[in-house]
Parts: sequence; C-alpha cells; structure tokens
Amino acid sequence: MNVKPIITYSGAGPLFRSLEAQILNAIPLDTCEWRRTFHRPTKQVRLEAQAQPFNVNVLEKYKKGEWSILEHPILHIFVTECNDLDTYKANAHEEIKNWLKQLTAFGISDWMILLVETLDVRKAKNLLPRTTVLDKIRQDFATKNDDRCISVLNPAKFEQKSAESFRCLVQRIRFLMLASYNRNIAKYEELIRSRREKRNHEGWDFRQYFFMQEDLALVFEKLELHTEALIQYDELDAMFSQFITNSGFGEKQKWLECFKQPLCSFHGICLNRRDKFEIRKKIKDSPVSILEFRNYLFERQAHLLQQNNETPEIARRLLNFLFSTLREIELIKLDTPEGALSCWEFVCALEVLQTCEQAMEPNEVICFQHCAPIWNLAKDKLYELGKLCGLLPGFTPTSEQLHIVVQLSAGIGDSPLEQSQFLNPTPQISEQRRNRSPNRRPKKSATDQLKEALGSNQAFEKLYLELAELAISTYKHVSRTRSARLVGLDLGNFYCALNEPHKAVGFFTDLLRELKAENWHTLSSQTLLELANCYRKMGDSLAYTKTCSSISCCQELEMLVRSFYFDEFLKSVKTMTTTLSAQPSMENANYCVLEDHFRICDINVLNAEPIIQDDIVLVQLKLESLYPREVVAESIQLSYEMHVAPLTGEVTTPPSMLVVSGTKDGKLTKAPTASPLKESRLKMSLRLDYKQNKMLDCASVACDLPKVKQPVRRTSSTKRKLSPSVQSDFTNFVAVENIAIQPGTNIIELKSKATRVGTWDFKQMRISISHLEFFSEHLPFRVPPFVITTKPAEAVLNFKNLIAGIEQPVRLTVSGGSFIFPADAKITLKCSKNLRIRMARPKENTQPLSDKDGVLQESTTDTTSNSIVQDDSTFSSVLQVSLHNFKSFEEREIPLEVLTDLPGRKISKHLEHYVTLTCPWSRNELQIAIDFQPALEAQCRLHTCGTQKFLHVVMKGLEANLYLTEAKVKCDVAGVRLMDLNPPTQSCVQIYKGLTVSYLYEIQVEPLKAEIELPAVIKVHFITKYSTVENPQLLRNYGCAFDLVDYTTLFKVQTQLEPNELCRLRSVCNLNLKITKVHENPYVDLMYEVLSDQNLWAVCGRSAGVVSMKDVNSHSISLDVMPLSTGFLPMPNIRLSRYTAGGKTKTDTHSKVTPFPQGQVYNSTKSMQIHVIASSNGEQ
Amino acid sequence: MAVCISIIGKDNAPLYLTTADMDKELELQYRVHAALDVVEEKCQPISKATPESKELYLGMLYSTETHKIYGFVTNTKIKFVIVVDSGNIALRENEVRAMFRNLHMLYTDAVCNPFYAPGEPLASKKFDRAVQKIMGGNA
Repeated sequence: MNVKPIITYSGAGPLFRSLEAQILNAIPLDTCEWRRTFHRPTKQVRLEAQAQPFNVNVLEKYKKGEWSILEHPILHIFVTECNDLDTYKANAHEEIKNWLKQLTAFGISDWMILLVETLDVRKAKNLLPRTTVLDKIRQDFATKNDDRCISVLNPAKFEQKSAESFRCLVQRIRFLMLASYNRNIAKYEELIRSRREKRNHEGWDFRQYFFMQEDLALVFEKLELHTEALIQYDELDAMFSQFITNSGFGEKQKWLECFKQPLCSFHGICLNRRDKFEIRKKIKDSPVSILEFRNYLFERQAHLLQQNNETPEIARRLLNFLFSTLREIELIKLDTPEGALSCWEFVCALEVLQTCEQAMEPNEVICFQHCAPIWNLAKDKLYELGKLCGLLPGFTPTSEQLHIVVQLSAGIGDSPLEQSQFLNPTPQISEQRRNRSPNRRPKKSATDQLKEALGSNQAFEKLYLELAELAISTYKHVSRTRSARLVGLDLGNFYCALNEPHKAVGFFTDLLRELKAENWHTLSSQTLLELANCYRKMGDSLAYTKTCSSISCCQELEMLVRSFYFDEFLKSVKTMTTTLSAQPSMENANYCVLEDHFRICDINVLNAEPIIQDDIVLVQLKLESLYPREVVAESIQLSYEMHVAPLTGEVTTPPSMLVVSGTKDGKLTKAPTASPLKESRLKMSLRLDYKQNKMLDCASVACDLPKVKQPVRRTSSTKRKLSPSVQSDFTNFVAVENIAIQPGTNIIELKSKATRVGTWDFKQMRISISHLEFFSEHLPFRVPPFVITTKPAEAVLNFKNLIAGIEQPVRLTVSGGSFIFPADAKITLKCSKNLRIRMARPKENTQPLSDKDGVLQESTTDTTSNSIVQDDSTFSSVLQVSLHNFKSFEEREIPLEVLTDLPGRKISKHLEHYVTLTCPWSRNELQIAIDFQPALEAQCRLHTCGTQKFLHVVMKGLEANLYLTEAKVKCDVAGVRLMDLNPPTQSCVQIYKGLTVSYLYEIQVEPLKAEIELPAVIKVHFITKYSTVENPQLLRNYGCAFDLVDYTTLFKVQTQLEPNELCRLRSVCNLNLKITKVHENPYVDLMYEVLSDQNLWAVCGRSAGVVSMKDVNSHSISLDVMPLSTGFLPMPNIRLSRYTAGGKTKTDTHSKVTPFPQGQVYNSTKSMQIHVIASSNGEQ
Repeated sequence: MAVCISIIGKDNAPLYLTTADMDKELELQYRVHAALDVVEEKCQPISKATPESKELYLGMLYSTETHKIYGFVTNTKIKFVIVVDSGNIALRENEVRAMFRNLHMLYTDAVCNPFYAPGEPLASKKFDRAVQKIMGGNA
C-alpha cells in the first residue's frame, strides 16, 4: 500500500515533472529535524514523498471533514519559470493569485512557490536587476512567510551550479512538509476525537472510524513514530473490546453484525506477511469475521513492536490477546466449529514463539518469561485437539473424528508459501537457532506443524512431547520451577497414557519433591497416588510398597483410600521378601523418610544425670504414627553420637582440694562443661548510629560472623528429600525390638547399655518394618545431650572446729564411685607430729559395734570394756582403716577421733596439723590440713611485797569446758622454793570460755645464797591436770614453763614527810628518804631522783643525788618539798638507779645511770597520800 | 466474585485455601502453587527499580483461558493469591484490590489471636466465614 506523503504541483507542470524524480529521490536522502508541537520531543525524520497534480476535488473532502490524513496532500507547490518581471506581471502573478485563493478557500496554508531559474550567461553578465521576480513574488504573496518562496537553478541546465540551490530546495520541502504535518495531525486528531464522540450515535460505524484512526497510525509509522502509531492501535483495540463488552450488557450496535461472520476459517496470525495490508483491504471491502479483524489488529501491533525492537512485548501481549478474543467471540455469541479456536490459539502461539525465537538473545530472560506460558498453552491446546480428534494415546480416530480433522485442517488455511524464505532471512540466524535447541529441524510453519500433528497419532504424540519438554525447559530457564513441575504433571500423565510409566515417574517425583518441600500436602498426596499407579504398572514392588505406605499416612486423603493403600502396603510388604533379592534395585532403595509416616514428639532420657558407665540407658520416646492401623516394627533405634562441644575456651576446673578423683585406669577426667545453647546462637551486637548533633539516628542489630558459615539459608534451597540420604553412625543406639505401633501417639521405651563414656547427642531414628527402613531426616527438636560417665572414688575428712587438748570427732567419708575395691582394701591415715588418731568409740545406745562395719583398728587392745574411760594410749599417729567388702558406688562414713597436745605457751593462732591419706585407688598421697584451737592458756605474773615474792599463775579458758586438778609448780634451782598458797579445798576447778583461774605461790629464796650463786633467770614449771566435764576420770596433763627474773628484792625505799599531820599549802615540808639494802648485792653507787608532778610538788634544792651503799645497809636523806595544791596529794615518787661514775676509766668519761627493774626495788611508801590543807593565813 | 482465595506462608506452605467449587479445588490448588513462581519473580530485589516498593499488591500474576490469578504479598512475606474467573468481565481491577485489602485486614485480625501460632494453617471458623463473604463478593 502506498502511503507516501502527497505533494501537489500547479503552474508549470511539465517543468516540475522534469524535476519530479530528482526531487522525490532527494527527499529521503537525508533526515530532517522535526520540531513537534505540545512539547513533544523533536525527532530526526526521514521523509518520502509522491507528487500529484493539484486537484481541487481532494480538497473538497478536506473542507467537509471527511478527509483522511493519508490521502490529504501535505504540500502544494506552484512552479514557475518566469524570469523577467514583465512576464510575471502579465501571467504568473495572476495564476499564483488564483491558486492561492483556492487554497485559502479550503483553509490550507501548506503551500510553496518554486521559481525555477533558467539563467543564461548573457544576462548574467549584466548588472543584477534592481528587483528580481523572486523578490516580486515575495512582495506580492509572502510578506509574512517569505520562506515559502524559493528559487532554484534549473538543475537540468546547470548541473554544476544548481547543486547548492537544489539542496536548499529539498531541505525546504522537507521542512515545510513537517510543518504541514504538525498542523494537519493536530487537525486530524481533532477530527478523530469529534468522530469518536459520536460513537453511540445512530449510523456510526466502527469500521469507518477504525480506518480513520488507522490512517493516523500509518502516518505515524511512516514518520517512524512507532510508539505513537502503536498507541493508535491500542486505542482502537481497547475501544473495540469495550464495544463488545458493552454488547454483552445488552448494548446493540448495528455495525457489530458485520463482525459476526461465521468462523468457517480460522487462520492464525502471521507475523511475516509480505503484503501487510492484505487483510486491511479485505476488511475495507467486505465484512470479515471478528477473528480476522482481531488477527489483523494484533499483527499490526506486533509489527510496530517489532519495529520498535520490543519483540518480547509481543509475547507478553499474546495471551491476553488470545483470551480476550475468545471471550469476545463468546460474548457476541458466535458459533464456532469444535476445535477451531484451539487451532487458532495453537497457530498464534507457535507463530509468536517462532518470531521470539528469532529475535531474542539467549540471555534475555524477559522474553523467555513470556514465552514459557505460551509453550504451555500450545501444549494444552494441542492436547485438547488431540482429545477431540481421538489422537490421544490409546485412542484411534473414528470416522467422525477424521471428519473433524479434515474440517479443521481446511479451516486453518495454508501457510503462505513465500514465507519460507522470509522466515530464514540469513542462514547465520538459523544456524544460531539450531545451536540453541539442537533437536529442532528447520522450521515448519505453525499451520504445517499443526496439520501434521492432526494427521496421525504418532505425529501428534511427537509434537506434544516436544512442546511439553520445551515448556518445561523454558519454565526452568526462567526459574519458574513450580510451573515447570506442573507441566511435568501433564507430561507424566501423558506418559502414563502412553503406557510408559517409567518415564512418568521422574516427573511425578520431581513434582512431589517440590510440593513436599513447601508442605502442600493435598497436592503431594495426589501426586503420591499417581506415583503409586506408575509403580504398580511398572511392577516395582519396593517403590510401590513405599508409596503405598506413604499414601496410607497422608492425613489429607480419605480414610477409605488410606485403608486401601494400607492393605496394599501390608500385602506388598509380605511378597517383597521374595522379589527384593531378585530386583537389581539401587542401594538404600528400601530407605524411607521417617517423617512421612511417624512424628517424633518427644525424646526423654529417663536416667538420672549423669549416667554411670555400664548402666542401662532408658529413653522414653513419644512417637506419633500416621498409619491408619497398627503396624509392627521389628526395631526402633535411636542413634547417638559424641557431642561436639563448641570451642568456648572457658574450662572450669572443679575444686579439687579435698577430692581424690580417678577413673578405673587411673586417668583423671574432667567433666565436660559445655553449654549446649551457645553453639547455635549467632553473635548479635547492638549498633547505634548518631547524627551530627549527637542525636540517635538509627538503632539496629547486626550479626557479625565470618563468611564461611551462612547463618540463614533460604528454605527453598534446602529441598526436602524423598528418600533419606544421610545415615548417621548407628554404632551407638538405644533400641526396642518387635513392637506394635498404634495409630496416634505411642510411648515407647528404648534402652541400651551405656558402654562408652562421654557426652552424647541423639542423632537419627531408624524404624525397621519388614524390609523397609525408615530414617528420620533430623530430629525435630533439640534434645539436650546426656552424659555417660565414670564416677571417681573419693575420700574426705569431715570435721568442725577442732580443739586441741581433748579428743575431737572426725568423720572419714569414703565414696566408692565406679572403682572396684579389693576385699581387703585399706586407707592409711598418717598424722603429723603431736597429732594422734584412733577409731571413735561407738556409743552403746546409738551405734552398733564397730566390728560390724568391718572396721579394724590396729592399735586397739581391748574394745570389749564397757567403761567410758578410754585411755589416750589408744591414739596413735598411724591408723589403718579397713574397707572391708567395699562395693563400687558405696558410700561409707567412718567416725574417727583425733587428739593433739595443748601448746605449752600462749599462742595466738590456731595449731596446724596434717593427715595424710593413702587410698587404694590412687598412688598419690592426699594431704588434708587440720587446724586446732587451744582449749586453754596459762600466763604468770610476779608480785612483790616487801621482801616477799609471789608467783601468780593465770589460767584462761578458751574453748572447752574442763576441770582443772592437781595444779602445782616446780622449780629445780637449789635455794629457791615455791610455797603453795592455794586453798586445798579448791583442788578441782571448772574452767570454761571467758573464765580465768588464778593460782598463787610464794617464792622463797634462801638468804644464805649470795646473789652471784643464784641465776638471774629461773625456770618454773606449772603443771596441772585437766579433764573434760563429760569424762572427769580421764585426766590429761597440761604443763607450762615460765621464766622468772628479779625474783629477789635488793633495796627498799621508804619516804616520810614531816610534819606529817599538818601539811599546809605552800609551806616547806621535809621529805625523809630512806634506802635500805635488803639483799646482798653488788650495786654500790645508787642514784635517787624525786619524781613528782610539778603542779603538785615543788622540790626545793636538789631533787636527785648519789649515795654509796658500800659497807652500809641504809641511807637516810632529807629533802625539802613544798605542796602546791590542797587535797590528798600522792607522795612524791622516788626512782632508784644504779650509778656508775664517769672518769674512772679512759673510755668512759661520762657517768651512767641505769634504773633498777621493778622487781629489784621495793618502794614501801608508794601510793601513799598526803593531806594538804590550805595555809593558815588564808592567803589564797 | 473470586473462585479461590488462598493464603500462603512465608515458607510457601499454604496456610489457608478455599475454593468456590469443590470439584475444581485440586486444579485451582495447582494454579495457586504455580502462581508462587510469579510472586517470587515479582518480589525479587532486581525489580526494585520501582521506588514505591511498599506496594503490596502485585497485580495479575498470570492468566489462563479460564482464570486470572492475582497476587498480593504482605510485608511479612505472607502471600495472598486470589483466582478470578476470567469470564467475569464486569470485575474491575480495583475490586480485586479491595478484595486483597479486606483479606489483609481479616488475616491481620486472625493472626492477632493469641491462640494462633504463626506459621500454622488458619483454622478459625470466623475467619473462614469472613473469607467466604469476600469470595461471594459481599464483604
């Protein structure tokens, strides 16, 4: 169809015709920029044109508003070659004037005046005339738009010179054409709009309107505005649909009847027509069927899309096109031959698919995304046709069906023959195509393919399988697996019908896996039914048994079905014994997924923690059976594997101060201290982001982890298996055998012997029913690990605050653990120095005889005595405790007593002792520290009275309640005697905490002995016996040695104040001082000093002096003192010192004064008080 | 209005499915299941080019000769799929949207029930009644 824009010419027709070819050829050579109105984008357009002589009749239509933009001349040119003004004025002027008047009358402003100059050389020599013809024309007609007047050198005469002016001309023509289009399109759109408004008017015809708007589309297409052309078609499409829809609601349109042509032919679309407007003509000339009209519309749209490089869009639109057309046919109640529309859909689908295949890149997923459903549709339609024509497997066409085939084949029409070359434009492309799908032969047209398939069962089968496979692979390619599996279902069913169940199985299993992965139980149970059917046909009894078993556990199915398959299962299981060995089935073929048949609800270890090695591990299993009836399982096993503790790094060592731990083989073990929760936790951290002004911007939780381990995985990528793949290590398991499992919840006890030490995790469950092994994929919940362990034997000494000096109870606790004791096992206890130990005496009323316990005490002499008094001699520093008939895990407590001596001197701290244990289960000795507090302590003091000396012993009770008896002192020094001054009646004294007991002794020194003979220090031993209040008969000794110094008095000092009775304030008194030698001693020079409070006494004159006691026994000195205060004043104190005069030897120039220690000087008037009264004259 | 209404959990397991015609239930279930492919495709992060990713309505997922399948996905990746008879030309897309909105509200109410454990099939009778209403077109 010729749709080139029309240019008319007037004036010098022959001249224009001579130039026509040159001009029209030149126009498409270059593009022109098209500035469009209403801010539409500018576009570079390549124009074409055709020329016609000016014809007023065409313009008449334009004026009436019945014009078509396609037929409307776009530019009117007036051509003249008038070269001189005179001729112009005479003829041309008038002609142009009339022409323009005509144009203006039709409201056309798209004109142009072309002045062809045939300039001759002679004239060119002259001076240029003042005004040329062009100027004149411009002056006359184009004062406002002088660009519409153009002169050109006649290219026929001036080939060289004309080039430039000719180029200008062509450019101008292009420009003016486009300007004209701007105007005309706007006008035409307006016209269309007004026409559309009238669509509900009587007599309005859609077809007229269609062509009107299509003309605009064609113009747009011509101007390479494919999108805008497409919009026109889309508008028409929508409008048509709307009409049909409305007609469905009772709106009657007369013109619609034209489309209700019977569908005797139902050609599919053809996207590669040579004559693209073949049907357009047909539509224009005669009524067409709605199918033909729709086909044409879609072909046009597809063509524009192709032009616009949007081939995938064709595929996208196809389904909607097909379905809406079907609906429209239905709506206008058009009778269609059976199968006709399926044929039509099929051909359309294949046509589009072929087009897409040529156009698309293999990586372009979008196109495949749209193509996949089309393949599926083609497959479905073919199936429908096959069903209709008796071509399905297992059928043979009846004569009626053959008749249908003939009718359909006729209706499909023939594929245009010339198409075949058109289909493969270059061999290269077809080569590429073959690479993409190697099985495809050179393309047959869609109609041919369909006809062939309808021709015979074999061809039908072949095409169906091919389409189905293509649909599946295309779906898979765009990763629409579910859709692919759904096609697989159809294909599987087809294979079943073909009696090739082994081929169908694969598709069904794929589908089943997909459905089970996403828990679509209803669908998966359906698929299982299909599978069971296949396996039965195949005679695969193992697979059949498994499937039957699965079906009987499908809770979605009806009980009747489940029961039926359960019976099948039982039947099949019985027969399997013989068939199984014969079949070369795969390894592990008898494995089933446990979760499909049973549900593990709970696993509970019944034993108390921890389980001791060689115990029986008892596990309670709560199992839900999905079978409709009871099944008997040969065994149920639950495997457990060594618990893998996460590397937390924190290993806490148990406090082992008092614990001897050891296993059978003597190796030390540590209890695993892993927290099971930690490993599964992700490391989450808080992240706070702050804005610049320190405000919180965003708070988030981040998970930092090494990239090695992916913490969160997409669930769909971990497909659920149809058969268990993982079989864990079943070397360790708890099990039960031959147990009937009831439908619903069962509580089953599993057991096994705990053979190996360690921490164990339950891993997998296996249920064996006949030849089938049901394995669990993974346990549905986390069962805390259980521990099998050996218990170490240990021995501990238990005691409370121990007191030294009296027997103290201590308990030896022996717990056997898993150690196996020899019959004569012993524990040896060795004590540190001064500590002794013995077996405790059993108390008659509370405890049976110790012999019953099998306790032997080595040092016990006679234990039959009932006397409570027990000699301390039964204590010994080494004790062997026999563990007679001691069994593993036994715990025995053995009472012991310990005794340690009281310390002789006062100590502030407790006494530290040790007991060392030698145990049969350990080579190492165990040292246990024992601390004692002393029961009492002794102190002594020396008192002086004149010449007499007294020893004062103070006993202080600390912890225990004791009796003290027979206290005495001893001094070994000759000449010193100690006199007991204590009353004999109080020989037994009770002492307890906080109480002190004093003993007094006088020290008598024989006066004959000279000082030199007696040592400066004498040792005095204080000895007393003590007994506990409970057992006063048992006396123990307590001894304490004291060192005594200054046990003799050397000098006696006496002071006397005169006047004695009346001592007045501030009156001088006489202080008489008398020093007497009491004991013979070597000290000769003595110095005395008066030490008094200066506020009370004032010493008048010397307060100190030196006296010599050589050869004299006493000295009297008189001093003057004055009381400074009234009241009872203490007598001024006198200090007596040894005096060594200086200067006697060369080394010692200074005198030395050494005060006597307290015990050597006795001040007889110490602490005497003087009553001072106020002076008589009342001065104060 | 609708032929089938279904709610599918985030792990693609069906939580609720009801059909107007019990005979077609199996076929419709297959359709709904296959629709998940398109839902996944539409929810892929690649198609994030559209800035308003908050749009929960996915539009028509695909169509067959007899049915149109529409999808909707909540922010918690719960998918709603509604199957509509394609013969029903009177049905506008806005009505489908409204159906999804109502369904979303019903679902939200249903899962707010403290006795409902997320991820389990929706067995509430009240919910079922309300969904049946939507399906009938009088919600």
